Amino acid sequence: MSASYQTATTSTHDVSSRKIFATFFRIGLFTLGGGLAMATVVRHELVLKRNWVKDEDFLNEISTATLVPGAIAVNIAYMQGRKLRGPVGAFMAITGTVLPSFIIILLIATFAMPYFSYPKIEAFLHGCAVAVAGQIAFSGLIFARRNLHNIASGLLCLFGIFLVGFVHLHPVWTVISSGFLGYLLFTARDLKASNQKETNE
Amino acid sequence: MISSHLQLIKSFVVVGLGAYGGGLVTIPLIQHEIVTVQAWLTFKELASLLAIAQMTPGPIAINAATFVGYRISGFSGSLVSTLAVVLPSVCLMALVAPFVDRICHNLHVKRIQAGFQIGVLSLIIFATWSYGSVAITGFFDLLLALMAFLALVASEGKLHPVMVILACGLIGLVVY
Repeated sequence: MSASYQTATTSTHDVSSRKIFATFFRIGLFTLGGGLAMATVVRHELVLKRNWVKDEDFLNEISTATLVPGAIAVNIAYMQGRKLRGPVGAFMAITGTVLPSFIIILLIATFAMPYFSYPKIEAFLHGCAVAVAGQIAFSGLIFARRNLHNIASGLLCLFGIFLVGFVHLHPVWTVISSGFLGYLLFTARDLKASNQKETNE
Repeated sequence: MISSHLQLIKSFVVVGLGAYGGGLVTIPLIQHEIVTVQAWLTFKELASLLAIAQMTPGPIAINAATFVGYRISGFSGSLVSTLAVVLPSVCLMALVAPFVDRICHNLHVKRIQAGFQIGVLSLIIFATWSYGSVAITGFFDLLLALMAFLALVASEGKLHPVMVILACGLIGLVVY
């Protein structure tokens, strides 16, 4: 464990497992869609409302949560829970985050599924599903704006599309190979340029 | 029963592992594992599931795991799938967390991460096509998807995606 991690642990209050669970259950319940949307809610609950975590620590940890594979919501819960009360805290935070969506989806699968084939419900869901296509395109645009800053990154992106779309490489391997190629391709200067872009935004 | 559970665990560990960058990136992955490889859901069922996942709390990957697990082998299936999708996160975070400060500012890690980000972008662009080309079945669908896209662009992300999805659902209710 690194030194700054130690100080961060000792500077936080001793928070009970029950409180950690309750807080993350609330976060899980009120975050629609998950992912980075959850980061804002977690910050509100842990940093602003409860003062459990310092803001600059939190921002650092969010970048780690996005660095590691897995649902960002779960990664954030792990880091914050662990900091508040070690492995037990991490367990409580993850369980709290996952449980609301687990229960809600089970309820939908049990009670609402039979009605999905009703014409009116089907029409509604079809409209929603079409909107999701627009939403995917929009997040592609946001991602492109943030990550495409030179010809090399553009070519790497096209190569990734070629791998997953035409070679039919598994999506996971596609991302891994892009990581490997990015390591070979990107210089320290490229990273500086992309950092600048992020701070400008 | 055991074999279907093992299959669920295998697929959702892969989904959990590949859910890199969060949210919509998981869509091509879920589509690949659930519809193309395993044929556990039809595309239409998957599209409904994704729309519901966007309107209910929690990450898409977890919603999908719970739902598919339940469909394939009931409550126990939903439990193992949900655990399986969370497992890679927990293991990797446990591995990485102690070295957080050193890793975050390491140039080698940053270069790999920059590559990962581009890979994720490739996946999203691919998903726009692979999801869109099946979800959009006619001219009006295309128009509605375009409207959703433009509404999000025009509001610069300030309009909550759930609002846009609900609005399109209501339009669908009237039109289809």
